[in-house]
Amino acid sequence: MTGWEYYAVVLLVYFGTFLIAAWGLNLEFGVAGVPNFAYIVLVAAGAYTYAVLTLGPSSGNGGFQHYIFGARLPFAVAILCAAAVSAVLGAIIGITGLKRLRPDYQAMAMLVVSITATTIVVADTGLVNGSAGLALIPNPLHRMSGSKQAWGYVAMVGVICCLVYVVLRRFSSGPFGRLLRAMRDDEEAALSVGKNVVALRIAVQAIGGSFAGLSGALLVGFIGGWSPSAWLFIETMALLTAIIVGGMGNDWGVVAGVIIVPTLIVQGVQFLPTVASNPELIPQLGWIILGLLTIGFLFFRPAGLIPERRPTARRVRSDGRGAHAGDAETDRHGSRESDARVLSFISSLPEPAARLREVRTGAERGDDHILVVEDLHRDFGGVRAVDGTTFSVERGSITGLIGPNGAGKSTALGIVSGFIRPSAGTVRFDGRDVTSVPQYRRARLGLVRTFQLSHEFGSLTTLENLVVAAPRARSESTLGVVGGRRYWGREEREITERAMGLLALFQMEEKTFERARNLSGGQKRMLEVMRAVMTQPTLLLLDEPTAGLSPRLTHRLGDACLALREEGLSILLVEHELETVDRLCDTVVVMVQGKLFAQGSMADLRTRREVQEAYIAG
Amino acid sequence: MGVVVQTIGFGIAAGAVISLGAVGFTVQFGISNVLNITYGAFMTLSAYLGYALLNRGLDVWLALLLVAVAMALISVLFNRVFLGPLQRRGAGFVSVVIGTVAAGIILQGVIVILVGPGAITYGAQFGTTVSALGFTFTVAQLIIIGMTLALMLGLHLLLTRTRIGRAMRATSTNRTVARACGIRTERIIDLTWLLTGFLCGAAGVALAVTTVTFDFSLGSIFLIYMIAAAVLGGIAQPYGAMIGGIVVGVASQLGAAYWSPAYQDVVAFTILIIVLLIRPRGLFAAAGVTRRNLSAT
Repeated sequence: MTGWEYYAVVLLVYFGTFLIAAWGLNLEFGVAGVPNFAYIVLVAAGAYTYAVLTLGPSSGNGGFQHYIFGARLPFAVAILCAAAVSAVLGAIIGITGLKRLRPDYQAMAMLVVSITATTIVVADTGLVNGSAGLALIPNPLHRMSGSKQAWGYVAMVGVICCLVYVVLRRFSSGPFGRLLRAMRDDEEAALSVGKNVVALRIAVQAIGGSFAGLSGALLVGFIGGWSPSAWLFIETMALLTAIIVGGMGNDWGVVAGVIIVPTLIVQGVQFLPTVASNPELIPQLGWIILGLLTIGFLFFRPAGLIPERRPTARRVRSDGRGAHAGDAETDRHGSRESDARVLSFISSLPEPAARLREVRTGAERGDDHILVVEDLHRDFGGVRAVDGTTFSVERGSITGLIGPNGAGKSTALGIVSGFIRPSAGTVRFDGRDVTSVPQYRRARLGLVRTFQLSHEFGSLTTLENLVVAAPRARSESTLGVVGGRRYWGREEREITERAMGLLALFQMEEKTFERARNLSGGQKRMLEVMRAVMTQPTLLLLDEPTAGLSPRLTHRLGDACLALREEGLSILLVEHELETVDRLCDTVVVMVQGKLFAQGSMADLRTRREVQEAYIAG
Repeated sequence: MGVVVQTIGFGIAAGAVISLGAVGFTVQFGISNVLNITYGAFMTLSAYLGYALLNRGLDVWLALLLVAVAMALISVLFNRVFLGPLQRRGAGFVSVVIGTVAAGIILQGVIVILVGPGAITYGAQFGTTVSALGFTFTVAQLIIIGMTLALMLGLHLLLTRTRIGRAMRATSTNRTVARACGIRTERIIDLTWLLTGFLCGAAGVALAVTTVTFDFSLGSIFLIYMIAAAVLGGIAQPYGAMIGGIVVGVASQLGAAYWSPAYQDVVAFTILIIVLLIRPRGLFAAAGVTRRNLSAT
């Protein structure tokens, strides 16, 4: 084998293994927004797992290297074990997501994990032979020789890359990719529409981890040795740079990044002649170029060479247009029969109808209140935001929650939705104590909130924002990921049709394929309400939905609320605009200084002087 | 017993340096809202700058002061020409962290290319030893402990008792509102980077004094100690970072003495990971500022 041939083989194997790892990290960070700065540890875990499972017993080495759990398993088994170990480790690291922290803080935590892992492996020489590392790790193709073995390895890596790509696309594209991107764009909003963010993060980190393990095993099977210097924290940076250069969240962008960053630059500087007086010069130069490249792209082209595309927009466009082009057209040119449209819209849905039937059975049981809040307390560092509030929402009513600023309305709403934990008190929803039920589960039960400040999934289109909120979608299940389009395609079309119906109702069709981050403030608020309705709630919690809306939009939103109530939906509405409250609400709850001040119909409250005074004085 | 006391003494001395660096790190993060990983590389740079001054025959403590002043200016410049513009271009939190990591890598690479990868030393700058209550400290250690206490107290008073300190805390909580209230937030941010750069420089030279030999990787491992101290104490809490620094210093020295020197780093890092998992806002976190700074959105 000539020198150049050998060099080409090395380059191709590095390229393939690096690509697999970069795809995994891109799925975690680029697509799902998990800043896994400890990713290289998962690559290392795969490499070590492969090594100890193929090297045979530690004692068989004549004592020159020590490690745990020596075995001589078949190579295929060892590689799969490596992927599995890294997947488990990735999931464990994913548990750090339980504490909802700012992403840069998470990144720092991961960085610490990465460096700690290195120090532990170095400190414990019996684990995987400390800083000296493992050597003589067998090549899976050891029976072949020379050039045949080398090119055989390249072919094997190539095939595995293709397989990994097929698996990857199941997660990074289509409805599942859309779900992950929604979580990345706004975690709170994802929770509010019933997505189990923690489980998703752990799943993503397990999948990304398995890629890392595969990459590590393939790399170490080729080079035959593995030590802590091969998986320093800086290697994660190399992967991140490849992703940033290529295009975050774009699988083909990552391919471009992997060609440019490590193979051309880190390997490229190896061609420079070494300087005898400073042997560190050349490798350091490689890292400096890497750093400059990262910074350059962050400044001048943060989306990368091949920016992330809208994952489902075009596909949905063809599906959605096919089904609904007619409706959208008539509505745009047609009349404003919105009330009638809502009615037909909701009753045409099989699922909420079933849900509403349940609600009615609940009512038949004599349970008139869908929500009962008792003696709720919440302090914020000495401030009693909510101080013993008790109120209830009648089934099928619109209940207003009013009070002066700082009365604790939003906090109360936050507690009811599960976003804020109460210091004391109970929340009963539909006859069930949900005080300790996590937010996303409450949303799945039908208790859904909107936010006072808009929380949109910015990189998704308006339509995708709605489609992603659909509850219990097949495409989000394990079966959906395995089964693919055949399993969820039909349902996806139905959900899309429903979303198109909602868009028509709110007269937002023109913005169907607009990215949500480009919408105006008022449009974002409408989107927020539509998205909540998409989850098919039984009780909708609206936090000042009309704030910042023009009178016309306010009226349109009011129409929609009234129509939804006709269908049996209950609404709890925090609102300052008394005109709107007067128009919409059957019952009004007045809060002052964290306490229930009065409850009754608006006409009733109007006659009570103390209410008037409290409201105006506040 | 004597060994325990002495080990704790070592820990306090080590902790003082950690505290010094951690206070700068935590205030920088708390007020300017940037998680600056370059901080570690800046400490390395400080140590090498101190070395250059020492070689010109300067007294080590004078060198420390000069380096601290130089680093204060470099730090302001770093924020003005790099991080500020990056944030204004809409880079997210993680992008900014990646930017600071990249900057650290570049800086470290430049140092290696200019000075070489070999280890260097300040020589023995410890002074005589002083013993009291079973503790034995070198004069250098006492100076560092005293300096740390003084800087900490000064910073605490600045933040809590002065108009500028109030403006800094306001800027930290909500920059836009602070600006709307007539606070010149650019100046406040400059001042923050000036002060924390000073602390970074002082800590870098102090670290080089207490370490026998060091190389280009000095700051990158030490950064984790500082992060541990800052996280333990609660971000943006100068006193918290100080107590955190002492706790981390003592714990890692005890780990080294009673377990194995190889585990010195592991002990410190494990503390950090446990705190991050259980109480990520730190042991002494104040409710308001930190919650806003660290919550997911």
